[in-house]
Amino acid sequence: MLSKKSKLWVTVTMIFLILMALISIGPLFWVVMSSFKTTKETMRDAFALPNSWNFDGYRVALDISPIFKFYGNSLVIALSSTLLNLVVVSMAAYALARFRFKGNEQLTLLFSSSLLIPVSALLMPIYRIWMTLKLFDTRLGLILVYAALGLPESLFLFKAYFQSIPKELEEAAYLDGAGVFRTFLTIICPLAKSGLATGAILQFLKSWNEFIFALVLTKSTEVRTLPLALNYFTSQFTFNYAAMFAGITMAVLPSILIYVLLQEQVTSSMIAGSLKG
Amino acid sequence: MKISKWKIAAFLTPCILLFSLVFVIPMLIIIVTSFFDWKAGGIFNFVGLNNYINAFTADKRMHQAIINTLIWVALQATIHVSLGTLIAYLLSMKVKGWKVFRTIYMIPNVISSSVLAVILVNVFRAKGGLVNGIITKITGTTFTKNWFFDSDSAFITVTLTWLIYTGLIVIIALAGFMSVPEEIIDAARIDGASDAKLLFRIKLPLIRTVLGTCVILAATSKLTEFELIYLTTGGGPGDMTINLPLYLYKTSMIDNNYGYASMMSVVLVLFGVICVFLIHRIFRMNEADI
Repeated sequence: MLSKKSKLWVTVTMIFLILMALISIGPLFWVVMSSFKTTKETMRDAFALPNSWNFDGYRVALDISPIFKFYGNSLVIALSSTLLNLVVVSMAAYALARFRFKGNEQLTLLFSSSLLIPVSALLMPIYRIWMTLKLFDTRLGLILVYAALGLPESLFLFKAYFQSIPKELEEAAYLDGAGVFRTFLTIICPLAKSGLATGAILQFLKSWNEFIFALVLTKSTEVRTLPLALNYFTSQFTFNYAAMFAGITMAVLPSILIYVLLQEQVTSSMIAGSLKG
Repeated sequence: MKISKWKIAAFLTPCILLFSLVFVIPMLIIIVTSFFDWKAGGIFNFVGLNNYINAFTADKRMHQAIINTLIWVALQATIHVSLGTLIAYLLSMKVKGWKVFRTIYMIPNVISSSVLAVILVNVFRAKGGLVNGIITKITGTTFTKNWFFDSDSAFITVTLTWLIYTGLIVIIALAGFMSVPEEIIDAARIDGASDAKLLFRIKLPLIRTVLGTCVILAATSKLTEFELIYLTTGGGPGDMTINLPLYLYKTSMIDNNYGYASMMSVVLVLFGVICVFLIHRIFRMNEADI
């Protein structure tokens, strides 16, 4: 009796979990699969497997849209913003974690209060300031915004890490005559490596995927990032589904690749980042 | 060891500059200019509370945007989090392949939501879309509903697209379930607690703060939702699926009505603060007990 009941439970649970898995990756899988179909095939039966491997979609997509340029832009912007965020925020986090000075707590509170701000609220003023500073439609403009958007999360992550390092190590370094900057660079940062890596992964994914500021702060194809390029796919590839699906597949590939390669780190970064926030 | 003031300043200044540029100055701008009639072409006049009064009395579009935003925040904070917690609970029982499921559920969270939006536009497309394709297969008759653009399905379709993001809640709640000490569970089992009792009386109360975090994440993500509306329905048909960020975008970037947009930003920030404050109270998040 009991085993019968639990068997039923296991089956129901499995069906439910598999259904949710289908919802999670079914659409993505379908797009990748359809990118190898001709538009005609997709129109006739959206659900069927491709008859043969057809790469026309990819050829057309690469013809119409300079996807590799967008890859490059996204990569440069995401990497630079991650680096900037890492340097600037880790220094501040170290100061807030270790130095006693007037206003330390108030400053920490100020930084953390930015977690309460829905970032889309800041669109217009940032756009106006960026216009004035001639940062509009530049890569640097996006790099600065992205580095700042991840600031509160990185700050808390790094600060917690620095605080977990025993003070004795630094004191020994100071006694040996090392300065604050050298101690920070050669002793603290290597010890906090995994914390810094966690923050960097989060920051990279955030910048790589960001859309709304890219939409507002850039306009030329010169600096366009990958997520923003998607905005134009629907109009560029009307009635050529094969090309659109090929474009989407190429756009989504790097994220999936990073996730598959660094799965454990990405997952734990996301948990850490959310719990700090 | 005493560290000189200028060295402390050297560590802090870059971060303070960046923070001021992107958070502090923009915040000050929206607060001040929300009391101004500020439009393109040099119009800049103090109008007191007029923007606010106009928004809450006359502007039908604003009402729709606020109502939609709040409905979506509420749905997300309740149904979405419950679903994620349920899945996390099932996975925490270490069912067969739980790690594989966890990996799969996370995939939508690592790809750009603009990519996902464009994918979903195609999934729900009237002709050649996945959903209609499946329905046609099952029923045998050609089904051509335009999910995102028919007025009877647009709202619910936009709401449903967020189902795909449950994965983040799942992994956070799962980490919470995993952190419940084995001894407590063993002790409760010896006392004869059933699975249901164990879940509702022991596990859920113990991971309260984690769940609170999930609710905050879910709620605030809906306050800032943009891509999945802008790239799918664009707020339509009519204004059926408009929300605050989308209206804010249209007001500032298309109508160039900056003062009014600032007022909306202030409203959005207030919503954010109230949301987080309420959730903190409901989940008693500052009383740690694990």
